[in-house]
Amino acid sequence: MANLLWLQGGACSGNTMSFLNAEEPSACDLVTDFGINVLWHPSLGMELGENLQRMLRALTSGEMPLDIFVFEGTVVNAPNGTGQWNRFAGRPMKDWVADLCKVANFVVAIGDCATYGGIPAVAPNPSESVGLQFLKRAQGGALGASYRSKAGLPVINVPGCPAHPDWITQIVVAVATGRAGDLTLDEFQRPKTFFTSFTQTGCTRNMHFAYKVSATEFGQRKGCLFYDLGCRGPMTHSPCNRILWNRQSSKTRAGMPCMGCTEPEFPFFDLNPGTVFKTQTVMGVPKDMPTGVDKTGYIKLTAAAKAASPAWAESDIFVV
Amino acid sequence: MTAGETQELLKTIADMLGKGLRTVTEPFPETDKEFADILAQLRDLEVDDLEGKLVVSGFVDHPFGPDQQRCMECMYYLVHRRWCDLPELAVPVEPDWWCRLWRI
Ligand code: SF4
Ligand code: SF4
Ligand code: SF4
Repeated sequence: MANLLWLQGGACSGNTMSFLNAEEPSACDLVTDFGINVLWHPSLGMELGENLQRMLRALTSGEMPLDIFVFEGTVVNAPNGTGQWNRFAGRPMKDWVADLCKVANFVVAIGDCATYGGIPAVAPNPSESVGLQFLKRAQGGALGASYRSKAGLPVINVPGCPAHPDWITQIVVAVATGRAGDLTLDEFQRPKTFFTSFTQTGCTRNMHFAYKVSATEFGQRKGCLFYDLGCRGPMTHSPCNRILWNRQSSKTRAGMPCMGCTEPEFPFFDLNPGTVFKTQTVMGVPKDMPTGVDKTGYIKLTAAAKAASPAWAESDIFVV
Repeated sequence: MTAGETQELLKTIADMLGKGLRTVTEPFPETDKEFADILAQLRDLEVDDLEGKLVVSGFVDHPFGPDQQRCMECMYYLVHRRWCDLPELAVPVEPDWWCRLWRI
């Protein structure tokens, strides 16, 4: 039996929703097949009031072992570093987080808010939000860069807005079944098994990317979403087109651009109207050019790609 | 639109440009916002106002500018259909033409 506790800081519950939608394995499988004892979870926990506080105190004192501490949402420090804006079970959530992380064997941050601060940490960040061990790209966060859980690992970051249901449960199972040692983490502490390839890997619009056929409106069934609609698929580490959403589709398959939600800088844009789903250009040329290509080279490359494109690249092909 | 109708429309446009239709080739939209402004002007036109479309978007029947830009390299040009796929334009075009909505 592995004791798991799931708490939520500054968050929208999106990752809880995602977790409850997991299929391989499902949230129920965690309990029935993998021997995970869910001590408490914001949507599933049975304990209330004093009972919950007693349990939390038993965990922080070491009386009850805490194998896996899962945190969703940001660590809220406002106002003025006190954390009083996010109180839970009688004290600031940030204090519970600090104490629980001291006793937990493994700490798993789920979703962008817990990993890198996500949307709540966008400037001016009135809630003084940080992720558990990062704030955007900068290491540190609530626990500090040198934090290691009792098992010797830093926070395992499973980003996403929300994280895909099965990334969540598969990582929890790996940790609970003693395979945490097999997890290798990248520079942002993301499990490499999920976050080495790009959203573009497996995208059904790859040929449109290569042949430079652009989708000009959401939901169009042909064309790549990079040239007009700001798709970040080529530079975002995620398996969204390998581990499909609802087991059958992905954003790009449905004609929506990837917004790069698994990267620490998400949401990337200043969020002014017209900046999010739009590829920014200067004099008709994309602002972010592929590395090492100049404008003339890019124009030549495009002409060659266009000339080589097969006729079917221009038809409305059905993408699931 | 049938292949015949497309050909006919292409010829009509070529004739209009050949006869020296003056179109607004400058200023070239430098930023995304300026680009969007031209699209907005196009959306305000009557659906069948072909001349209006050509004028506002700055059509010419030859490559343009120091980089000799042309439809051929433009994002919206469909090689096999010889067609401009920008929804606000959606007209047949020749690979050597150009308009100021050129984008790569
Ligand atoms: S739609 Fe996005 S992910 Fe797919 S090929 Fe285009 S840029 Fe890549
Ligand atoms: S497609 Fe992109 S934005 Fe969507 S979930 Fe995957 S990484 Fe996030
Ligand atoms: S947008 Fe202009 S340059 Fe591009 S294909 Fe259409 S007509 Fe040609």
